[in-house]
Amino acid sequence: MKPLSAPIFDIQRFSIHDGPGIRTTVFFKGCNLACDWCQNPESQSVTPLVSFYENRCDQHFACARACPENAISKDGFRIDYARCSRCLQCIEACPNGALQLIGKSLGPAQLFEQLLADKAYYESSDGGVTFSGGEPTLYPAFIERVLGFCEEHSIHTTLETCGTFSQKRWTSILPRLNLIYFDLKIIDAKRHKQATGSSNRRILENARYLTTNGYPVEFRLPLVPGLTDDPDNLEKTADFLKALGQSKIHLLGYHRMGEAKIDIIQGKQKKLGLQNYAADKLADVAQWFEQRSIATAAT
Amino acid sequence: MNYIDPNPQPRLHHDSWVPSATVMKLRADHDASTPGLGAERALHYTAFYKASQEPSATLKKAKALADHLARRTIQICEGEMIVGHHTEHRIGAICYAELAGVAMLEDIFRFESSKTTPLYVDPAAKRKLLLSVIPYWLPRHLAARAFPFAKSIRYLSEQLQAERFIITETGGVAHFVPHYEDIITQGTGGLRARVKVRLQDPNLTQEERNQLNANLIALKAVETFSDRYFQLAQKQGRHDIADILERIPRQPAASLREALQMIWFFQMVIQIESLDQGISLGRLDQYLYPLYQKEMAQGTFDPDAFRDIFCAFCLKLSEVIPLFSGRLTEMFAGLPSGQAITLGGIGKDGQDAANPLTFLLLDVIDQFKTRQPNWHARISKNSDSAYVRRVFEVISHGGGSPAVYNDDVIMPALSKRVDRPDLVWDYATIGCVEPGIPGISYNSSDAVLFNYARILETVLGRTQDHNNIHQMSNLIEALEAELRSEIATLKEYLDAIERANCKDHPVPFSSLTVQGCIEQARDLTAGGARLNASGIQAVGLADLANSLAAIETMVFERKEMSLGELAMACQQNFEHDPALKSKLAGLDKFGNDKANVDTLARQMLALFDRVISENVNTRGGRWMPGVYSMTCHRSMGRKMAALPSGRAAGAPMADGIAPTDGTDCLGPTASLNSVAKLDPMHTPNGVNLNLKFDANTVKGPAGAALLQGLVKGYFDQGGIQVQINVLDPETLIKAKKNPENFKNLLVRISGYSAYFVDLTPDLQDEIIARTLQAA
Repeated sequence: MKPLSAPIFDIQRFSIHDGPGIRTTVFFKGCNLACDWCQNPESQSVTPLVSFYENRCDQHFACARACPENAISKDGFRIDYARCSRCLQCIEACPNGALQLIGKSLGPAQLFEQLLADKAYYESSDGGVTFSGGEPTLYPAFIERVLGFCEEHSIHTTLETCGTFSQKRWTSILPRLNLIYFDLKIIDAKRHKQATGSSNRRILENARYLTTNGYPVEFRLPLVPGLTDDPDNLEKTADFLKALGQSKIHLLGYHRMGEAKIDIIQGKQKKLGLQNYAADKLADVAQWFEQRSIATAAT
Repeated sequence: MNYIDPNPQPRLHHDSWVPSATVMKLRADHDASTPGLGAERALHYTAFYKASQEPSATLKKAKALADHLARRTIQICEGEMIVGHHTEHRIGAICYAELAGVAMLEDIFRFESSKTTPLYVDPAAKRKLLLSVIPYWLPRHLAARAFPFAKSIRYLSEQLQAERFIITETGGVAHFVPHYEDIITQGTGGLRARVKVRLQDPNLTQEERNQLNANLIALKAVETFSDRYFQLAQKQGRHDIADILERIPRQPAASLREALQMIWFFQMVIQIESLDQGISLGRLDQYLYPLYQKEMAQGTFDPDAFRDIFCAFCLKLSEVIPLFSGRLTEMFAGLPSGQAITLGGIGKDGQDAANPLTFLLLDVIDQFKTRQPNWHARISKNSDSAYVRRVFEVISHGGGSPAVYNDDVIMPALSKRVDRPDLVWDYATIGCVEPGIPGISYNSSDAVLFNYARILETVLGRTQDHNNIHQMSNLIEALEAELRSEIATLKEYLDAIERANCKDHPVPFSSLTVQGCIEQARDLTAGGARLNASGIQAVGLADLANSLAAIETMVFERKEMSLGELAMACQQNFEHDPALKSKLAGLDKFGNDKANVDTLARQMLALFDRVISENVNTRGGRWMPGVYSMTCHRSMGRKMAALPSGRAAGAPMADGIAPTDGTDCLGPTASLNSVAKLDPMHTPNGVNLNLKFDANTVKGPAGAALLQGLVKGYFDQGGIQVQINVLDPETLIKAKKNPENFKNLLVRISGYSAYFVDLTPDLQDEIIARTLQAA
């Protein structure tokens, strides 16, 4: 049997916006949605990728000389993914760090060793570990194993999900999580499909499932100008929350930093050309929810 | 003494408190006055020394002080609540001509045009300094007397270059905590009585008798000096001040206000007499507490009035500006005078000692940011949670104060190094970061800053020896041999400086304020204090560890190059092989929680401690290792070749015990973990760790809680000290462009706060550019 592993594209220590206290957030690679506004376009595919930072390139092409697959082009985008075997020799050859690997396969124990390094801070700040992505629920067996380690060390755990998970595979894991952040994006089925590439049927079902069973879930809404913050979607979101008996929502203002990352992997995601979500607009949305007796938290 | 209140009262919380309009007016006047070069002391001392036939150095020094205090210009400015100025200017710098002042005067034509803090120099004073002060002291000042002529020239030029080490004691000793508890409870009257009793001893030698008589002259001088203010206050109709000066400094302080005036008189005269460096105020919230209790019992305590007066006291401390030439400014940027106040901590019984005064002082730090004092807060596992919460709340508001200290590791580290382990519960910080036992110690805690990374540069430069280096252990042996040889040179220099200080620059007034001196009839500079020490700080520890890790990887493990080749590449600043530089820079670095390099740092710190601790100073005190750098990590780094760590020639080294800037890539927890792996038992003289956060990360109650959690996690793992700067880069950029609008903007440099606008432009850039450790 193949040993258990998962592709991870970042492990962020001193993470302070992904749950209470000081946390380490694990970003899993791979997602079953493809949102128009995705902030981590490099996380969507499951396979590791060599990324290219053009601004760091000194045009000396040590990478091309090192590449055994002849997959490096000297014009335009550097890497021919069709040829690249991810041997990483180009990355080692580059003195400027212009080529970087996105996604590294780790075993649960290997990952946990890194999570354990900040245990003192989890304890001192009531923090812990957060599983994020990409979509972490693609890796139930892996997360279950890591959860086991966390439980042994009394480490608080949080899951951030887009809600697409399979109930069957997650029933035994969900009760072991201390906190679940659940993203609601668009309630209207057709619009959801348009903007994310997938139906939201399972997402809404899972939301009902979690609340009905009393799991510690908090809902979040990414505010993307013109895509998720229109009155219709806000209205439907508020109604949906109320139907679930929920009275709180986290508002996540859109940040355009993600778009810059499309180029490093020659991604196909269309650029929206939007500005960061303005603080006053965010305050307006917050007020709108509060008027409907839904408390808000801005992250 | 036990500072615990047997009947604890509810804590006073005045979150809404702001300084009164009167205090804000005082501050506006303070900010509007131009700092000046205080030439009077140099002129008076020079005239006195030229004329005096007094053979005893200590009597001569006491008489010179008395002469100066009797003649110096005094003023009471409008609205002042505490009187007395450091110089003839409202804000001023003293030129200690007989110490290193002559060296500072190399900049006499440049003080006014200084980019950082221009000092007004009166033209007549300038002429006199040039014609009488400089010619007289040039052959007679401290360093000139410490060594034979040729050696003194070499010494001075080396010190001005400051590549290997800088002996700050060349400028005088200072760096101690006067016994303010004694002072406010006894007054000069009480001190005089003790000296007089001692003088009755028939077995005293002539020298001892001279010392005690010098003490008496100094006491009288301070009283007479105070009387001049009394008369001036009466003349100006300031009866509130005259009333106070009728009793103090002769009698014990009867109120908190009297105590603060008394403390300032002593603080001022100690700094006039000896040097304005690191004269620290100790555990002020503890020794003022009995007076607070008394006022509470009388029903006269007014928390708002107390905080106002304390603001005025902070302005007094801020009027002291050290005279640094351009060269020295590079090494000690931001005008630190290092007057530290320590808050909180524990009492003799091991219980939390924070009291209502502690909280009122935290309000002052929060609402009234001033260049001085250096505020330090002691924290332990026993600390009251309300106190700890308030400390981090204040920190999260910016200004870099207070710095926090971990009792749970500092006390055990001190216990092993001081002869009075029973008193370490009472430790206070001296100057920037150095812990010491107040009132009985003469630590000279900032005696030397030693460039530790340079020993590797030297070893790498001796190519003929490389053949003997086959593995890491050989290299470490070579480093130890080089360290020992450097320390031997340093010891020779420092001993000579100590002897010269003792012989020619006794401090009979300051000696009254530290226990042991009267009893032994001996000056502080001659070892009169009960406890003595010399603080020797390592600079560039992280750079040394990073370089050793790089050598281990490249030369001994991967065998990609020989030691000689790597040394050559460093010497050439990687000009022929930029790819090598990138490769080296990409190797593991201290500050990323990586076992290999952290272990090397730990090992090198242990070595430093071992070699330093073998030495004893001429006052009978141990050498105590510390790890902080003021801003010498920049000035020393500027003169160093490239290092195997990939650090380019001339680049700054690591600031204090922190990772080298830009090399800690995993955020503050990883960085703190690396630092916490260093054994605190090796740094009894303290360390400095600066952490910087942007204002967004730490805003609001959640931000304060986050900082508290972060520091607790670090302290739980053995962290010693940390100071947190809350920066907003946009504010800093604006401040750099329009300094006049940002006079109050404080940043923490290295153990002290400085006004951002006082910093040199490149240091401002460094602070702006430094990776902000925000999430």
